[in-house]
Amino acid sequence: MFIEYTWLVPLVPMICFLLIGFIGQKTPEKGGYFAIAGALISFILAALISYEYLTGDVYPAPVTEQIAWFVIPGGFEINLGYYVDGLTCVMMLFSSFISTLIFVYSVGYMGDQGERRKRYYAEVSLFLTGMLGLIVSSNFLEMFIFWEVMGLCSYLLIGFWSFRHPEGDAASANAASAAKKAFLVTRLGDVCLMAGLFILLFEFQSLDYATLFNSANIAAVDSDMLTLAMLLIFGGVIGKSAQFPLHDWLPDAMAGPTTVSSLIHAATMVKAGVYLVARGWPLFIQNAEVMLFVGIIGGLTAIIAASMALNNMNIKRVLAYSTISQLGYMILALGAGGYLVALGLESGSEELIVAGSAGMVAGCFHMMNHAFFKALLFMCSGSVIHAVGTEDMRQMGGLHKHMKITSITMLIGSLSIAGFPFFSGFWSKDLVLEIAMEAGSHEVWFTVLWVIAVITAFMTAFYMFRMWFMTFMGEEGHATQHCHGESPKTMTVPLMILSVFAFASGFLILVGLDAIVSFDVIPGGFQVGGGHAGGALHYFEHLFTNPYTYLTIVLALVGIGIAYLMYVKKSINPGMFNKDGESWLYKALTKRWWFPDLYNQISWKVGYGVARGVDYVDRQIVDGTVNGLSGAVVGGGEAVSKAQTGNVHDYSSMVLIGVALLSVGFLMIAMVLGGI
Amino acid sequence: MDMTAIFGDYTAIAPLVFLIVAALILPGVQLLGKNRNITWAVGLVLAVVSMVVNIMMLTDGYVGAALDLFEYNAYSGLLILLFSIVLVLMLLVSNASVETTRFNTGAYYALIFAATLGMMFVVLSSDLLTIFVGVELTSISSYAAVSMKRNDPRAAEAAVKYVVVGGMSTALTLYGISMIYGLSGTTDIAALAAWVQTLPEINLLLGVGIVAMVAGYGFKIAAVPFHMWAPDVYEGAATPLSMFLATGSKKMGLSVFFQIFLVMFVAVASVSFLGETVQYLFAIIAAITMTVGNIVAIAQNNIKRMLAYSSVAQAGYILIVMAVMSEYALSSGLFHMFTHVFMKGGAFLIVGALICAGVGEMISDYRGLAKKAPFLAAAMMLFLFSLAGIPPLAGFTSKFFLFSSTLYGMEGAVDSTWVWLAFIAVLNSAISLYYYARVVKAMYIEKGDNTEKIKVPAPFMVAIVICLVGVIVLGVYPQLVFDLCESAAAALLGPYLL
Repeated sequence: MFIEYTWLVPLVPMICFLLIGFIGQKTPEKGGYFAIAGALISFILAALISYEYLTGDVYPAPVTEQIAWFVIPGGFEINLGYYVDGLTCVMMLFSSFISTLIFVYSVGYMGDQGERRKRYYAEVSLFLTGMLGLIVSSNFLEMFIFWEVMGLCSYLLIGFWSFRHPEGDAASANAASAAKKAFLVTRLGDVCLMAGLFILLFEFQSLDYATLFNSANIAAVDSDMLTLAMLLIFGGVIGKSAQFPLHDWLPDAMAGPTTVSSLIHAATMVKAGVYLVARGWPLFIQNAEVMLFVGIIGGLTAIIAASMALNNMNIKRVLAYSTISQLGYMILALGAGGYLVALGLESGSEELIVAGSAGMVAGCFHMMNHAFFKALLFMCSGSVIHAVGTEDMRQMGGLHKHMKITSITMLIGSLSIAGFPFFSGFWSKDLVLEIAMEAGSHEVWFTVLWVIAVITAFMTAFYMFRMWFMTFMGEEGHATQHCHGESPKTMTVPLMILSVFAFASGFLILVGLDAIVSFDVIPGGFQVGGGHAGGALHYFEHLFTNPYTYLTIVLALVGIGIAYLMYVKKSINPGMFNKDGESWLYKALTKRWWFPDLYNQISWKVGYGVARGVDYVDRQIVDGTVNGLSGAVVGGGEAVSKAQTGNVHDYSSMVLIGVALLSVGFLMIAMVLGGI
Repeated sequence: MDMTAIFGDYTAIAPLVFLIVAALILPGVQLLGKNRNITWAVGLVLAVVSMVVNIMMLTDGYVGAALDLFEYNAYSGLLILLFSIVLVLMLLVSNASVETTRFNTGAYYALIFAATLGMMFVVLSSDLLTIFVGVELTSISSYAAVSMKRNDPRAAEAAVKYVVVGGMSTALTLYGISMIYGLSGTTDIAALAAWVQTLPEINLLLGVGIVAMVAGYGFKIAAVPFHMWAPDVYEGAATPLSMFLATGSKKMGLSVFFQIFLVMFVAVASVSFLGETVQYLFAIIAAITMTVGNIVAIAQNNIKRMLAYSSVAQAGYILIVMAVMSEYALSSGLFHMFTHVFMKGGAFLIVGALICAGVGEMISDYRGLAKKAPFLAAAMMLFLFSLAGIPPLAGFTSKFFLFSSTLYGMEGAVDSTWVWLAFIAVLNSAISLYYYARVVKAMYIEKGDNTEKIKVPAPFMVAIVICLVGVIVLGVYPQLVFDLCESAAAALLGPYLL
């Protein structure tokens, strides 16, 4: 009875967006309450839908309902509708829940922004519409539309401070260029995505999930084209989920308000890319090489981003790099799991398919846990920034005494992301490592990736605790002395609620979260947990008997310990590793491995240079040649009088040259085709 | 209502009758009334009546001929509707824009009506010569209208370039027509289509004729390499007139391509060497046109020049139809022409409105516009994003139709010949976002020198709102117009498909 109303889930925030847009300035909090109500209603609806679906008769088969939107002659129609399965339920639950908390928190955090709050609340509501719409869409085109809506909103939100940044003009300009970068870089991925969707359309004659995720239909299409399509679609994922080599926009996106960062990093936007891989999973697993590529990108991203977080001094940037790194984990899990499933499909081994399906569980599970602890961490950092008025950790320190709630909740978040035993990050991270290990026994690359992932886990524990110690422990920094004290209730209450989830969401795997995975790879459908197979649970038998688990736990503890010795005890001087900031590696990390410079060179010098060049050719060289030619044709005297006639006769000569070119073109084509 | 009861034998040209009347009486009205508001109101009423009459004929499904020259069907009805929308948008703002009110009012309106009349002539015709006459009527009226902004040297220069280059293209066209007439003995396009099917192999003289005509009419749509005039003219002309040329006159050029080349070669497309050669010729022109248009647009700092180059690129997208040569491609192309009227028209209207409010034409003049004119900035952003093809705006839907049409062959069967063209087009859409985002960045993100609110004339607001509604409604509910585009495509190509 609720599933029929799934379309309301994205519609409610949309209505709030319109309400805030029209009457927001007249309401208290400039529309903030509408935004909260919208997110809350969406969450309640999502909960009812999920309950009905997960306890209903159809489960674990997906429920989909569509209406025709428009029809394209040539045999296919584009529909609008919803598609509910386990993945949809999990995604819409955590997105709407976390968004609700972020909006409540915004009431405190954005409280001093006056009239501009209307724009803020309108944009975040639209942003949430984009994410929820993306999640419930029933076909790729509908999904793509919401994908773009989200891209547009992120552009506006990241650039929110662009006029009158609280920290002055330089910060405003920074926000402006960050917004543009985010928009253009993710667009680059979107072009690939769109091209991939065209190929799918071409091959399947449809973009409906119900048609595409059908093993009989998949078997009927050209597998090379499918591989190409999935690689292109993964290009979209690389852009949106900030994977290597398009990872560079996300740290810059920190220029937006901290609540927006929280929204982008935890509940929406970057999760869309991971969601797309999970959603398109039945198509991705058709080719083992594609999954290997996905896994390698994930692993590389994880370690590159983690390395850049090691020496950063900006509290929000450290969190941004950690997001990229954790996204890499999710992609790695999906890649490794998919690789096993692909092998299983080739060899017909059900055991491999079961093992690989746990990879999807691991990816989605880590995505959910990450949503909770990263939202928590960002909101804590927002609370700190709100209190001390700077993002530089060197000016903080000793804040624990001033802001106990923020400090403790942030500690919970940090323990969780560091993979401290029994915190949520521990469960999902170890599941990810298990899958990589398992895939490593079939493909040596995954063993390499496993090593990379373990090193990353160590680095994560170190830099997260470096951040926490630098902020809350040690001597009081310059900014700490101006601390306003603990943040208001609207900010701390969401922190406390989230910290409960950041700690405990990992236990969901023990009560059947692994049952959510359901997809059709062999005719008749196939489910992990929910149906035919034993589920991911059997990995937890390994978990505590497996020496590698203890290795990662020890590494995490060592990481925390080193951070403690360096930044609280000060018995190790961090300077001795980097020659006081002079070493090559230190500079490389500060320069973000020179990626921004590289992109600037490429986009600005090459891109703009080409444009200027073509414009120059268009105006000068073509004109000049034409001028010379026409001068020769019409006679010397005419050429001299160019000043009077302007370049009209150049243009008319251009027409003649164009005709000549066309004639040559016509002849050439006819010859190539063999007509002459 | 049955239009034949009122207009009798002239029903097929009923929408034109009002425009002819307007073109003839408006100078007189101005002379007698000496009040430009009255002249404007009379013109606007006649244009709206013409539009309403046409909509009624279109929804009735009227098909008929008049004077042995003009034939009204779903295709001509749809394009007449497009031209009257452009005309009405143009008229709405003409009496309010500081750029056009200084003109000699009577003559200005007469020229505009005559130019629109020419466009409608073209779409009602099915003969090379009547099409030629219609195109010339539009062109000559436009030359004169562009030159009316006499106090601006840029306008004078633009008008001279326009006339000289336009004259050359006319000569080329006529040369091409005479070549084809000499070979086939007819100028009737239906007869030419039948004649082309009987040709055993490629005839080089026919090739000369085709190339000359493609070059001549390529000028009208500013296809590369015949695009050089467009940025100069759009920049130099009064902004409402730039809008009129970019949305109306260019659509006429595209329609000429459909009516002549598509009809002539659709039956032999992918069948004979001749058909394939023509298809590839257009495919290459399309690819080059969209690429050059988009790349050069990046380097522009004047917003009118930028929009001009973006128009060049949009014509390139629509030329995909000429490469694919299928009924579905034609209906998508027509649909894109419709959405382009609203998005490009809307963008030009905003530029025009801001010029009235004293804002310059450079992109740097748009800094901080979101503070000064929140509605205009939001509308401009939507128009530009629609042009870039961002969903759920009209530009996305129509580009989606257009690009996906490359996947289907004649009978709806999947055909991979033109997929590369779709890839180039998708890449181009991505490039185009760069320069559109520059304007949005200036408006929303960069700081302006002041935050004084800008007021623009009310007629501009009305026209902009109309465009905005068009961009959103056609994006969300494309079927509204797409059905009409499909019947139009069927009406034009139906008789020639086997």
